[in-house]
Amino acid sequence: MIVNKLKLLIGGVQLRDGVVTVTDLLGRILTRAGLYVLAMERGYASTIYGAHQYDPLVIDEKPPQSWGDTALDILVALDYDSNPDAKDKPNRDTVLRHARHLKDGGVLVYDSSTGEIPTDALVRRGIKVFPIPARNIARDELKRDVVKNVVTVGGLFRLLDFDRDMTHLTSLLEERFLRKGREIIDLNLKAARRGLEVVESVLSAKGWADVGYRLDPRPQKEPMLLLSGNDALSMGAIAAGCRFYAGYPITPASAILEFMEEHLPKYGGRALQGQNERESIRAALGASMTGVRSMVGTSGPGLSLKVEEFGVSGMTETPLVIVDTQRAGPSTGMPTKSEQGDLFLVAYGGHGEIPRIVLAPATQEDCYSMMIEAFNLADKYQCPVFFLTDLNLSEGRKVVPESVFTKHSVTIDRSTLVRAEDLRRNGDYRRFQVTDSGISPRLVPGTVGGVFKITGSEHDEHGFVSTDPVIRKAQVEKRLRKMETYLKEDAKPPQVFGPTDGLVLIGWGSTKPVLLHAQQALNAKGIEVGVAHFTHLWPFHTAAAQPMLAKAKTLIAVEGNFTGQFADVIQTYCLLPVKRIVKYNGLPIYVADILGGVDQILRSTTDVVRIGDAAPTPVKVSEGD
Amino acid sequence: MSDAKAEVKSQQKISAKAWDENAVPRHRIQWCPGCGDFGVLAALKMALTKLEVTPHELLMVGGIGCSGQIRNYLNGNAFHGTHGGALAYALGAKMANPDLKVITLAGDGDTFAIGVENFVHVCRRDPEVMLIIMDNGVYGLTKGQHSPTYGRGMDITEWSEESPPPFSPLRLAMTAGCTFVAQSFSGDPKHSAEIYAEAMQHRGFAMVNDFSPCVTYNKFNTYDWYKERVEEIPAGHNTSDLNAAWELLNDFDRREKLPLGVVYRNPRRKKAAKRLPIWTEDLQKANVAPLFQMFR
Repeated sequence: MIVNKLKLLIGGVQLRDGVVTVTDLLGRILTRAGLYVLAMERGYASTIYGAHQYDPLVIDEKPPQSWGDTALDILVALDYDSNPDAKDKPNRDTVLRHARHLKDGGVLVYDSSTGEIPTDALVRRGIKVFPIPARNIARDELKRDVVKNVVTVGGLFRLLDFDRDMTHLTSLLEERFLRKGREIIDLNLKAARRGLEVVESVLSAKGWADVGYRLDPRPQKEPMLLLSGNDALSMGAIAAGCRFYAGYPITPASAILEFMEEHLPKYGGRALQGQNERESIRAALGASMTGVRSMVGTSGPGLSLKVEEFGVSGMTETPLVIVDTQRAGPSTGMPTKSEQGDLFLVAYGGHGEIPRIVLAPATQEDCYSMMIEAFNLADKYQCPVFFLTDLNLSEGRKVVPESVFTKHSVTIDRSTLVRAEDLRRNGDYRRFQVTDSGISPRLVPGTVGGVFKITGSEHDEHGFVSTDPVIRKAQVEKRLRKMETYLKEDAKPPQVFGPTDGLVLIGWGSTKPVLLHAQQALNAKGIEVGVAHFTHLWPFHTAAAQPMLAKAKTLIAVEGNFTGQFADVIQTYCLLPVKRIVKYNGLPIYVADILGGVDQILRSTTDVVRIGDAAPTPVKVSEGD
Repeated sequence: MSDAKAEVKSQQKISAKAWDENAVPRHRIQWCPGCGDFGVLAALKMALTKLEVTPHELLMVGGIGCSGQIRNYLNGNAFHGTHGGALAYALGAKMANPDLKVITLAGDGDTFAIGVENFVHVCRRDPEVMLIIMDNGVYGLTKGQHSPTYGRGMDITEWSEESPPPFSPLRLAMTAGCTFVAQSFSGDPKHSAEIYAEAMQHRGFAMVNDFSPCVTYNKFNTYDWYKERVEEIPAGHNTSDLNAAWELLNDFDRREKLPLGVVYRNPRRKKAAKRLPIWTEDLQKANVAPLFQMFR
């Protein structure tokens, strides 16, 4: 019996089958039952309706190290008629796609409303199969199609011997639907009970006492939260004093806009849905110019449209936090697939030399704490601060203790803003005063006794346009000197795990959990390996990274892109050769990808390992053959 | 009363001369002698003085080009970013701090070519911002290429994709939902100043299209050409009637005249807005705990 440790995947037809409704319901209930949930691999399509959607959940009684590998313990197929290629067995789509990942001895639950599907090959692998005619039960018995996924949830409760009395489910339903009336709650509970009964009857027919998996509630010592990276960074921004947000609808950053529209007004702020990507960033710069902490959020295609304003922010020294939730590019690319392909865009995008800072949080916790840091850095260095997440981190959900957030002390440092009394004391105000640190005092318009002249054209200390060679030199140096000051005072070195004198895996941003997981697996195989993980990517902190990385025998960067963009940065700044394990097929980097890649590199067969199958994997479920 | 407003009121009334402080000295102004923008500058100073605006509460957002330089030729806060972006910066600034007097100063190329996306939607959004378009039909700074208003009044019978006919800024504004649509002529700064003053007092987005001849690159729409055609809108015109406004424009077109004055004015009811908090002591008061609880 495996207790409190499994990976479960729910798949079905987007929108219709309510895949995310189920994982949200389950996730919330499991969280309250004291278990940890990690759901970082959601698969969906850039359509409203009809495509295949899936959502794998890692469930554990300890915080899961990462999403691990593709292997599944339990597969739940909610679709009953979505495979047009198999008219006789239309309910096999999810099974065809995912059943090959089921472990021997695992569990398959599927909607048998349109008939039973051939599962002999799975059964031979010891997989226990549970056909539930959920759609038929919902449609014919309960007269409401929409509760069909709750029928399946009830079935899962029986399978996992969890919440069989529906205590958790009832309280969650009451929370959500009591306003709409008791009937909805009763209907849902009835649906869940019917699912439970169906599973019960399969169990007794087969003579199985259980399925080998069980979830036991654990005492919850403190409130736990199930939240996404977008949720965490939005709350981080509000905590940091962000009071103006602008965004244009784009996957996977729209959730930030929605969050801000709903909650920012409660904190005296405003959220603006721009009419286009440029209006968003320009309005945010306008708000920031008046002293308001401002942020924009977008993904690659939107960021490409915003590039012109990177220079405006840098040249006019107007602070701005810019969230880029990376998705697979270029062009429209794959809107619903994750990638780490925008590093060069944020580090180098735009004409001229722009002072800028790039941060890449690794986890939901980082999304919160580093956002607070991002706003302070933006204020201090008065330049664009990029917050580089990706689809998996932004939309991926994870259980985090509430105290991680509530105990995080929030410092709001606005010391570069000048007030009326400073003006009276210091006399002549110069917006672009040349200083040793490169940082100049910022005036808020409306302050009695001072005015500013700000321009994206080259300018003198007062902000009047100038092409004088002496002034130009002084201002270029002043702006870029801020980056030296940043490296001295605020840049953080990579986090290092394990020994760094042998093989060292290098990563940045959201891959940290899987790097550490792979490190553990490699150690278990007797391969000693260190991990250097970077969150402060740009300007590159050579002094902090080079001496440490120079000691390593082999450096391998693991990245979600084709070229190994960060590996190139390290090679450029540290003058060290960096091998690469790269993945860009839209799927998350798994532990096995890293193990396989390291193995190939150690056998000296290659310097670059490109993860993923070259040819389509044949998907076969036995037809009873 | 907000802090900023209180500060403003505590300030003494300023003299017309104060507009020359914190500004590029007159002899270093980089406009061609006779440029229409001088008329706009003179009229703007008159209007600001009349309305007793103080430089520190004024925020000018300049477009790219000769016209946008005006921001540095008088006192007051000024911002200058990308070509076509001026209205969007102004929108964000005004949303963030409604206590500021925000005015946008840009050319016809900036507003109607590269920036038309902002113009159209700012008309809809209706922030309390005045826009003065210095309309000269050309891109002067880059040596006279044609802008979207080039060809006004020209007797051209054949058009091409390369050289399309001009369009009407006023009609575009009205179509987009602009609540204050006016036109002025920099050859008559006193009249322009009256219109600017009305525009600045408008409770919404106010667009003033100012005929501001480019003496170097537009040899057709000259001062003399405009003087023969401009005509003040008759006193009896009902500015709050959109149909009357359209009819007025049609009538002027038929007579080959150009209207000066307020064509349309119809303020909307709008939600009150407050200045967004900026100071650490205000921001640190915020209790974010209820946000976390949503995710339990």
